[in-house]
Parts: sequence; structure tokens; C-alpha cells
Amino acid sequence: MKFDPIEPGIYPELIYPAYKSTVKRGPQQAALRIEAPVPASQNIVVSSGILLPNDTDLTAHGASEPLGEKIVVTGRVLDEDGKPVRNSLLEVWQANSAGRYWHSRDQHAAPLDPNFHGLGKMMTDDEGRYRFVTIKPGPYPWGNHDKAWRPAHIHFSMFGNVYAQRLVTQMYFPNDPLFDYDPIFQSVPDEAARQRLISRFSLEHTVGSEMLGYEFDIVLRGRNATPMGL
Amino acid sequence: MSKTVSNITTSQTIGPFSHEAWQWAVDACIPGNLKTTGETVLVSGVIYDGDGAPINDAQIEAWTPAGAASEPEQLIPGFRRVPSGADGEFSLRVSVPQSATPGEPLMYVTVFARGLVLHQFTAVFLEDDAGLAESSILNQVPEARRATLLARRTGDGQYHWDIRMQGEAETVFFDYA
Repeated sequence: MKFDPIEPGIYPELIYPAYKSTVKRGPQQAALRIEAPVPASQNIVVSSGILLPNDTDLTAHGASEPLGEKIVVTGRVLDEDGKPVRNSLLEVWQANSAGRYWHSRDQHAAPLDPNFHGLGKMMTDDEGRYRFVTIKPGPYPWGNHDKAWRPAHIHFSMFGNVYAQRLVTQMYFPNDPLFDYDPIFQSVPDEAARQRLISRFSLEHTVGSEMLGYEFDIVLRGRNATPMGL
Repeated sequence: MSKTVSNITTSQTIGPFSHEAWQWAVDACIPGNLKTTGETVLVSGVIYDGDGAPINDAQIEAWTPAGAASEPEQLIPGFRRVPSGADGEFSLRVSVPQSATPGEPLMYVTVFARGLVLHQFTAVFLEDDAGLAESSILNQVPEARRATLLARRTGDGQYHWDIRMQGEAETVFFDYA
């Protein structure tokens, strides 16, 4: 594949002082653009043995049902040509409905839910589609500044079809009142790029009286290196 | 042909809470679970921020495409994932490619961390690799910065390589074309 340069503003600013920990961690030099055939044409190969029975149902990891609003999240992973990214590994993780992560370093004074760990993984299908069942995560405070609260989000980690497509991002929910106050979301200068991180409510993917549906499509970098018909 | 503005999905930080979700891939490639028919080397180092303070919540992924052939029984052959430790330390035991293409890196590396809003791609070469001079990747890197991609030999099959996010010796990070 080939990877066109990304226009300024679409990626977050690597050093964005309102998000304090970027100041000493974001690289100061621009990434060096290089030709490298291996990462642009090959990828890790994942054994199907990595997938466990309940990896796509995050509500099925405990002895009983977790607390909170059960939802289904689905979408397609595409490349910049709009072609499906098939058979590609995708990991998700998130806080529980009270805004608490199943993680030793999370000190937020909200309860853990023994029936919800918030961890999942899956492969995209032949159309690039993924789908998982979960609990809608809660917002949580994070100490970056006074009254710093993260909008509710689900973390996504994607491996693409070639190595250079690797992406980690966060999916948000529509109409969250915290968007304007969140420096992580706001570190992306381009308004349209920010909006593309917000999932859509989907009646089509809503499952009867069981759970509401949310749709989140993902476009990874990269297009066909040898376009036809030019 | 007019160029359209990219519609890619942008990046967001991995945050501080990735460990539980990412652990399965860490477990799949730790030395105790490593089944390889090839020789291995151990590359160890520390990841530092711009103050020289260790980063204790990074995740580091390494990929040795040509080493994958030695590891057909691995769940993800040639792939390693390791979280940085309390002192920013990490170590990666990787299979040395049996039919290495001269000048290819030992491994392609991707760095993730809280406060890092976009993952960073880099690569590691062994300083005693006979193919360094003909490496097409190294030859695209300004000479003064190439040392940031070289792992220093510290013993038999052991090398040291640090990651520096900022400063004079900032690691070279790539945007693959």
C-alpha cells in the first residue's frame, strides 16, 4: 500500500499543553517520512487460537450480568480507498458503567463490577465488519486539571492489513456534554476529524428490547499502491 | 487529479489503563512461552520522557517479520508486546532472522503511552549487523540521528537500546510512505 501524508490538523497535536502529559512525552521532531517496503506491504499474522468464546460479548465475563446499559457496537474498518480491511485484529477496552476500569492503577472512587472487566478482541469479517456487545461506559475524572472528566469512550486498537496501518483510538458517544472540556478530544485540531470519533446511534443495529445499537466506522491510512484505470 | 482531504479516523492516546486488555498478547510472547527453532537475541532498554524520567506506563510492540519463520507455533509469530516496567524498563527476546535481508532492521517497533496521542513507529538495528551500510532505511535517516536506532552489544546475544521521546537524542520516529 501507499500512505499519503496526513494533512496538518487531522492527527492530534503531539505536544498539546492542555493535556499535560503530552508536554514531556510527545516527540519534538516531525516524524521522518521514509520508504519502507516491509511495513507498507506485510503484517503480523495472527493465529485464530487467540480468540476466546466470549471475546465479543463483554457482558459475559462474570458469574452474572454486569450492571449498566447493555449496548451493541458495530461498524466497518475500511482503508482510504473505501476497501474493507478484512480478517484484521481489533482490541477494545473500556471503563464500566460507573466509570471505573478493571485496572490496579485506577483510583477513581467508583465501584468495580465483578461481572464486567471491559476487555474484548475480535477479527473483522469479509466486509471489514466487527461487532461486540458491551455496557455503555461511564465518564470518569482523571486529574489533568480542576473538574477534568473524560467523556464516555471505548478504546480501540487496530492492526489493519499491513503493519503501517496500526491505529489506536477512542470511540465516543453522541451528544456528550464533555466534548468541549476534554483536552484529549480537543487535541485534534480538525473539527471533522473529531466528529469522526463519535459513534452514531443506530436503530438498525438495536436489538429488540435487549440493547441499543451504536455504529462506528473506522478508516485506516493506506490506499492501493497501483490504482487501476489511471 | 485533485487531492481530497483525508477521511481517516484520527488517533487518540492509549491512556494509562491498557494493561489488562493488552496482556493476552504479552503473555503469548514472553520468553517462557516462546517456541522458536532459531537463535534469539535479547534487546533491553528504558523508555525516557523529555526530562529523562522513565515512562512506566508505555506499551512497546516489536515485529521481526523474517524471524516469524522460526516461530510457527507462536500465536503471533515474530511479534512481541511488552509493557514498560516501574523504572521504564523493557526487554524483548526476538528470533534472529535466519535468512536476513541485508540492511533490514532486527525489528520494527511501535511505541504507545499515556500522553502520547499518536503511536510512534521506529526500528532497531544491531550495531554489529554486517548489513548496516546498505540499509535503505538507515540511509534515509540523517547520519547524526542514526545512532538512536542502533542497539549496542552488551554481551553474548545481548543488546541495549533506549527509547527517548524528546531531546538531543530523541529516537527517530517514522512516517511510512
